[in-house]
Amino acid sequence: MVTPMLLCPLVGMLVVLALPKRATRLIRLVSLVATGAALVFSAGLLGAFQPGATGLQFIERLPWIPQLRIFYHVGVDGLSLPLVLLTTLLGFLACLASGSIHEREKEYYSLYLLLELGMLGTFVALDLFLFYVFWELVLVPMYFLIGIWGGGRREYSAFKFFVYTLAGSLVMLLGILALYATLKTFDLVELAQLGPTLPAALQQLLFVGFFLGFAIKVPVFPFHTWLPDAHVDAPTPISVLLAGVLLKMGAYGFFRISYPCFQEGARWFALALAVLGTINIVYGAFVALAQTDFKRLVAYSSVSHMGFVLLGLASLTPEGMHGALVQMFSHGIVTGGMFLLVGVLYDRAHTRQLDAFGGLGAKVPVFAGFLVFFGMASLGLPGLSGFVGEFLSLAGAFGVWKWQTVVSVLGIVGAAAYILTALQRVLLGPLNERWRALPDMTARELATLVPLLALVLLVGIYPLWLMSLQEASLLQLIAHVKGG
Amino acid sequence: MNALLLESLNAWWPELLLSAGALLAAVAGAMTKRAQPAMAIAWLAVLGAAAALRGAPTDQAGGLFFGVIVCDALACAIRWLVVGMLALVLLMIAGSREVEGWLRGEYVSLLLLVGVGLMLMAEASHLLVAYVGMELVSLSSYALVGLLDDARSAEASLKYLLFGALASGLMLFGISLLFGLTGTLDFAQLLAACRALSAGAFGALLMASALLLAGLAFKISMVPFHFWTPDAYEGAPIPVAAMLSVGPKAAGMAMLLRLVIALTPAWDALQPLLVVLTVATMTLGNLVALAQSNIKRLLAYSTIAQVGYVLIGFVVNSQVGLVALLVYLAAYLFMNLGIFACAIAVVNATGSESLDAFRGLAARAPALALWCAVFLLSLAGIPPLLGFLGKFLIFGSAIAADQLWLALAGILNSAVALYYYVNLIRLMYLVEPQSASPIRPAWPLRVAVGVCGAGTLLLGIFPSALIGWARGSAFVNLL
Repeated sequence: MVTPMLLCPLVGMLVVLALPKRATRLIRLVSLVATGAALVFSAGLLGAFQPGATGLQFIERLPWIPQLRIFYHVGVDGLSLPLVLLTTLLGFLACLASGSIHEREKEYYSLYLLLELGMLGTFVALDLFLFYVFWELVLVPMYFLIGIWGGGRREYSAFKFFVYTLAGSLVMLLGILALYATLKTFDLVELAQLGPTLPAALQQLLFVGFFLGFAIKVPVFPFHTWLPDAHVDAPTPISVLLAGVLLKMGAYGFFRISYPCFQEGARWFALALAVLGTINIVYGAFVALAQTDFKRLVAYSSVSHMGFVLLGLASLTPEGMHGALVQMFSHGIVTGGMFLLVGVLYDRAHTRQLDAFGGLGAKVPVFAGFLVFFGMASLGLPGLSGFVGEFLSLAGAFGVWKWQTVVSVLGIVGAAAYILTALQRVLLGPLNERWRALPDMTARELATLVPLLALVLLVGIYPLWLMSLQEASLLQLIAHVKGG
Repeated sequence: MNALLLESLNAWWPELLLSAGALLAAVAGAMTKRAQPAMAIAWLAVLGAAAALRGAPTDQAGGLFFGVIVCDALACAIRWLVVGMLALVLLMIAGSREVEGWLRGEYVSLLLLVGVGLMLMAEASHLLVAYVGMELVSLSSYALVGLLDDARSAEASLKYLLFGALASGLMLFGISLLFGLTGTLDFAQLLAACRALSAGAFGALLMASALLLAGLAFKISMVPFHFWTPDAYEGAPIPVAAMLSVGPKAAGMAMLLRLVIALTPAWDALQPLLVVLTVATMTLGNLVALAQSNIKRLLAYSTIAQVGYVLIGFVVNSQVGLVALLVYLAAYLFMNLGIFACAIAVVNATGSESLDAFRGLAARAPALALWCAVFLLSLAGIPPLLGFLGKFLIFGSAIAADQLWLALAGILNSAVALYYYVNLIRLMYLVEPQSASPIRPAWPLRVAVGVCGAGTLLLGIFPSALIGWARGSAFVNLL
């Protein structure tokens, strides 16, 4: 079931490439069908998934480059399944939101589908070589999607994104090669068994190598500077995928590769990870507080929110790691929603400056309702998904990294400040006369946001369904890292 | 004729066919004053050579022609690369507007002779044959670089000739030193003789080896013997530059591989120097490429950088490195000739060699721009393209040989190289075109780009056949 899911965007891309440039409606339709089919397949995965079972499920393994013992090896477990669902869901919704793209549609949708293939592949790959191929596959379409359809300094931002992430990946490649040179396998399941037998110093070195690759993607301070540029200049649907999925690829790398394969390195690096997480949380929140551009504010809030993932990871406790995973999923849907809403605003007003608005709450009540909802989810209001992730991360980390956790709470205060300020500047106060004729949300925009809203509520009120998916795999991982 | 000679000739059909084709093409060119008959003859010769190569035996013990030539698996691999290169270059010549009018049968004949010379370089087991092969390549190349009737082409040709003559001189000096030391030029006997040398003669052996390597370094554009490359490429017609960027590099590598085995006793002293030069080659190539605004010069410096990567596979001196080197050479054949073919199409349509000619190519020729981007990304080493696999194996061989610094240098260089490769992609996709008129490449160019593109993409995704081929070619005794 995993391979058909991967084939959806691939086949979709080939069909789009074969269609004439003018057939834009057909191209859109094919893309929607392809991303929708991937969503259906991932829902099928969810339905057939056995939450209690440890280990990987839906495994497919075919020889690819037998001489190097490289396999087409895919499968999912509790760590990757939520992210696969997140990817297919956001992939479909952002495709729906791509209706605002009106130039070079054929190129846009073929690159978009290639991007989805890369993202999905990264989460299901169980062979390190395959993982790297998918990981890199994401870069190229993303470069074009920001560079061609973006706004502002799009060329600069696209290039910065490309160079930053590729530089990180290349260091990771060095790690992959070193790993292969010593263990002669790319199989992640085998590597998880063999990796811990490596000498501690080598494990630490490899951990750092992979860390650089993942840290740039997450992004971990001080490697985050590509993020605000890329997020702000990307077109709305691509910002959604950037924040919603791409950042998770980095964090997922820790769960799938760094932690299982280099347990010695993971334990050794935990303090640094906790400190970096704290810096991310606090620094991201305070920089967000200083932003005047709404999209840039949301971008920096991502830096802050991803800090909780790092803190949870560093704790190595079930609560903390659960928190990290829930936070990844939650950040995907909440920030995805925020970017969609900023896009809604920008499509109408052609500005994102917070000062330019005011009093929109009465003018566009539906939009205002959604913005308040997602804003509250972003600042961690109990009952919504953001709270669950942040609370669990902090609760898990407190027993291990007291000071870092205490300082991190500042970030939550900061989040309240920047979200409430933004809401106030956009929605409250006297109506700026420029927006007298501002229309409220369209049906298409509602269709992209309602599913996210429902999920934010579901995870917020009943987080157990998500956590029960992760539980078995997560406990196994923690036992694996701690033992031995 | 004795049986040995007959057996030798039997394994040597590709070279014979190409030589015969060269002679016929020259005659046809002189008689008809037109290039078409010569081109037809060249095609027949190349296809014949390919057919002959399919059946060519690769397992003669003791070598051919009384031991001066070994048609082993490595030679066979390089001969395949040479035949592939010839076919693609012929397509490019047919599609290039630049050489139209200047092209004559004699030039086609020279091109085939370059092919014969390259094959000789790859299969020589005797320094004299190796030298003859190299000179055949060099002399034909000098004339080909000067093919165009303009000052720039003539200047490039002259510069190339002067540098080349110096390199040949150095090499001959090295050969004579070696002959004086050992009394033989046969590789296998050289190895034995070098091993038997007294400690006092070791300095002279090093000297001779260094001089030989200098001559070869010139051919493969290795720093510090790379100076001719950008000038020659800039002046030469693009198909000739494409030929120079692939053929001599591949054949030179094969010759280098055989030579260092013959000179094994000097290897330990030479390896550190070669490692430094390898890093210098890729670094210099990449850094200078950053500042180029002419597509030919950019590709020249990119070639130098790529040679640096290939050299990693050589200096690690292992079987794994040799496999990686061969895969990289095959990848390089496809992606580099591909990008040159794209450049020809752009220069044909715009008449400009400036990078600005690529502006907005995506709007003017979507398919061409797409393939161009594929070649550039492959050169930059982005998966799942073939160039990535080559880099993966090359850097892997460095790590397997405990040369972590070499791998690190390669990785850092790949990051630098990304800048100028992606810059070209940026110009094609992100910048508005200067003129909206569509570009339609001539059909031979489309075929060349298609073949190179299919190779870069398909072999990148399904590389096991290629790796199998490289392994089969690498597991041989090279002497």
